[in-house]
Amino acid sequence: MQPEQAQTTDVELLHAVAHGDEHALAHIYDRYRVVLFGLLVRILNSREEAEDVLQEVFLQVWRRAADFDEKRGRPFTWLVTLARSRAIDRLRALASRERLAQAGAREESEQISDAASDAIRAEQRDLVTNALAQLPDEQKRALMLAYFDGLTQSEIATRLGAPLGTVKTRMRAGMTKLRELLANKSENFGF
Amino acid sequence: MVHEEYKEMLSAHALAALDHEAEQALNQHLSHCATCREELDQWNAAAATLALAASTAEPSPKVGERILDQIRAEAQNAQPDSAAKVVAGPHVLPFKQPPRNVWQSIGSLGAIAAAVIFAALLVSLIILWKQNREAHAELTKLSNETKSLQEDLARKDRAFQMLTAPGTRMAELSATNMAPGASAKLAFDKNGHAMLMAKGLPAAPSGKAYQLWYIVGNKQMPGKVFTPDSTGNGVLEDQMPAVAMNSPVFAITLEPAGGMPSPTGATYLHSAS
Repeated sequence: MQPEQAQTTDVELLHAVAHGDEHALAHIYDRYRVVLFGLLVRILNSREEAEDVLQEVFLQVWRRAADFDEKRGRPFTWLVTLARSRAIDRLRALASRERLAQAGAREESEQISDAASDAIRAEQRDLVTNALAQLPDEQKRALMLAYFDGLTQSEIATRLGAPLGTVKTRMRAGMTKLRELLANKSENFGF
Repeated sequence: MVHEEYKEMLSAHALAALDHEAEQALNQHLSHCATCREELDQWNAAAATLALAASTAEPSPKVGERILDQIRAEAQNAQPDSAAKVVAGPHVLPFKQPPRNVWQSIGSLGAIAAAVIFAALLVSLIILWKQNREAHAELTKLSNETKSLQEDLARKDRAFQMLTAPGTRMAELSATNMAPGASAKLAFDKNGHAMLMAKGLPAAPSGKAYQLWYIVGNKQMPGKVFTPDSTGNGVLEDQMPAVAMNSPVFAITLEPAGGMPSPTGATYLHSAS
């Protein structure tokens, strides 16, 4: 679990970045680069595109750190949301048919993280992995298609050949279950 | 739609999986429902944990170097008040030291004289202190003016560099009925660095500011916020989302001063599709 002290430091680092402290930005980069880059590679399926977007993300952190509000969530949530949003924008812009085809093949073998190099988050990673393993397959698949492939509910319905209402129900149920499972395990996920 | 129906959409919104119309409707609801905004924060935290389901990966060391290079280049362009610091440096006028052991050497008359001299010195000190304080305030004011002029000059220099750089494109924004006399131009270079120059905008009400939007298809991506000066002129620099580079449409709306993730206020300026 992430120690409370390290969490406080993340908040302080973002405040320092907001005041133009480039060393603080370097610390944030060191702390989050492997998690965010892993996420970007997973979404974009290209190291080159992912590196490009990772650079954009940290330039945005540099310019907009003042927008971070710790009352609304953890630095982890803010950074991940920023990175994913940029990646999905890039993905939709690329609109690569090839990639969508690959996503179909990949979907059947959703690989959860291997041994985490980031020791701080190893336990959280295990908790997420275990929580996802407890979701029914159809719920998990809907969440994965939305989160990593950037598909909307209608696109997921078309993709799975399921009614839109069913997809909405699966997603809501999956997210509710995920939140319950993680909330029971840890107070450090921020909800 | 009722509150409960919007509430059921929050988890999908955290995954950015809502279809466009639903997303627009929910954003409208979120702009005035604090309960849903708070709950959305919690769903966002839950959604973010899914990032941990991806394997970690190490980017090339060049990425970190490129980030630092770029922010240093920006800092150099912005000229952070190094010159101003020189102007505003320590400014302390030297105080005279009072003479010591005066009355011991010249007796009681001398003591009275010494008291008078002491009082005169005290008055002098107070006058000097006041002058020092006024001088310091004047220097601070001058240094602020210098800083403001330097920033203005740096911005004009950046505008010049941008407008003369190969590949820079220009878009014109026309006024809507909200501000018939307003107009704006937006220049953006091949790296997505954008500069908006607007004029004729009405003063933003207290707690409100104008926000720039990048529109691609039916997706509206938020830019930075700005408030025009007393003459209605406003300048804004921003980094365009990469996705908006190919066929961008721009709009300016009036929003809460902190900016919004999706537009909620009236449109004042809009570029051609």
